[in-house]
Order: sequence, then C-alpha cells, then structure tokens
Amino acid sequence: MSMPNEDNMASHAQLSSHFLGDLLDSIIVDVASECHRIARLGLDRNSEEEEEELRLSAQARVRVADPSNSSEANSKYVVDIFGQSHPSVASEVFDCMNCGRFIVAGRFAPHLEKCMGKGRKARPKVTRSTTAAQNRYSRGSPVSTYSPYANSSSSNRLSNGTSGVAGEEYSNGTFQEP
Amino acid sequence: MESGEKERLKELLRERLIECGWRDEMKTLCRQFARKKGRNNVTVDDLVQVITPKGRASIPDSVKAELLRRIRTFLASTSL
Repeated sequence: MSMPNEDNMASHAQLSSHFLGDLLDSIIVDVASECHRIARLGLDRNSEEEEEELRLSAQARVRVADPSNSSEANSKYVVDIFGQSHPSVASEVFDCMNCGRFIVAGRFAPHLEKCMGKGRKARPKVTRSTTAAQNRYSRGSPVSTYSPYANSSSSNRLSNGTSGVAGEEYSNGTFQEP
Repeated sequence: MESGEKERLKELLRERLIECGWRDEMKTLCRQFARKKGRNNVTVDDLVQVITPKGRASIPDSVKAELLRRIRTFLASTSL
C-alpha cells in the first residue's frame, strides 16, 4: 500500500506545473498578440528603418563631403534621395510678397516679423487691404513666384492659383495696426 | 479554483518575467520572425507557435521555483 500522501504530493506537483504551464501560456499569448500588433502597425520597425535611413544618409553625407564639391558651404551639401545635391536653402533669394523686397531665405522669417507688423509698430504703413490679402497669401508657401505688390490699396490682386482669392477686397481707407 | 488568486499569480509571473528580460527576448524573437516572414503576413498564431517552445524552456529556474512554490501553497490551501 502506498502512502496516500506521496500520491497526493505527486499529483500536487503535477498539478502545479500544469497550472504554471497554463499561466505561462496565457502570458505567451499576451506577448504574442502585442508583438503581432506592433509588427502589423510597423511601430517597432519604424525605429529600425529610421536607423537604417540615418545610417544611409550619414554615409551619403560622407560621400558628398569629399573634396569633389566643397565649394561654398562645405558641409551643407547633402545628397537627397534622388541623388541630387543642392545648396542649402538659406541662400535662395526671392521677393517678399508683402513689401516686395528681395530677401535671403535664411533671413525671411525675421524679415516677415517686422514686415507684417506682428503687433509691433515696426511697419506702421499697413493698410486694411494688404492685411487682408496677407492673410490669404500666408496660407500658401512663401517660396514661390509671388509678384510683389506695394502697400497701396489697389484692388487688383494677382492670385497664383492659391485657393480662390477674390479680386475685390476692402479697398477703402487705410487703417493703423495697434 | 479561485479566479482572483489565479489572476494574482499570473500577474506575479508576468512581473517576474518582465524583470528578468524574458519578455524582451520573446519580443525580439517575434520581431525577427516578422521581419523574415514579412510583417503583414504574420498572425498571432504564428507568433504563439514561435514563442511557446522557446518561452517555456527559457523561463529562469528561480522564477519557476518561486511560482511553483506559491502555486503549491495555494493548491494546498484550497483543500484539494
């Protein structure tokens, strides 16, 4: 006759490891479904791909930084994904659509600050018409061929195909910005 | 079987496995598998099958011992 205790203990042990297996399985399923979600959404992969892209772009930069084209801005020439290298944007010059002056792109933002007033008395010559038109134009990209228009209250606006700029705006009277 | 106690044991196991890096290993396996198979072709079942054998084998002995001890205590206390 075997001792009933031993049998109990054996079955207890079996039961415990079976129980542990159960717990482990359910945790495994949790982990698997989470990883599945990550894989499908590409969450985890994004960082890996980005790292690869960074590495590639770093390599490209090294290649470009060769003495082949280090004319002006020496390390500002970056090869983009099409293999073109172009000078840094800051050196481009274009017309401010507000005042019509030629502005270097790198100085455009501070110029706009003063140019559009921004609540300061830097440009007291703003009229209601130009302010209204500015609001429309500022929605488009600043780096395009806008024809400059002076601060007059002229009513002909040259729209560059941006979202339906109406021709007639408030062309009556001037108005000082505070 | 008290489901509350089972939940607590499961949480304990989960915590231990996270602490010892087991979970990260499993996630790495999944990532490698997904990369090989193509991440849009992966199913949950795939991943479960990938992880289960390795997962069961790589659970640290200390964790296993602790959990088994607790489980046995618990089973004993429910007068089986």
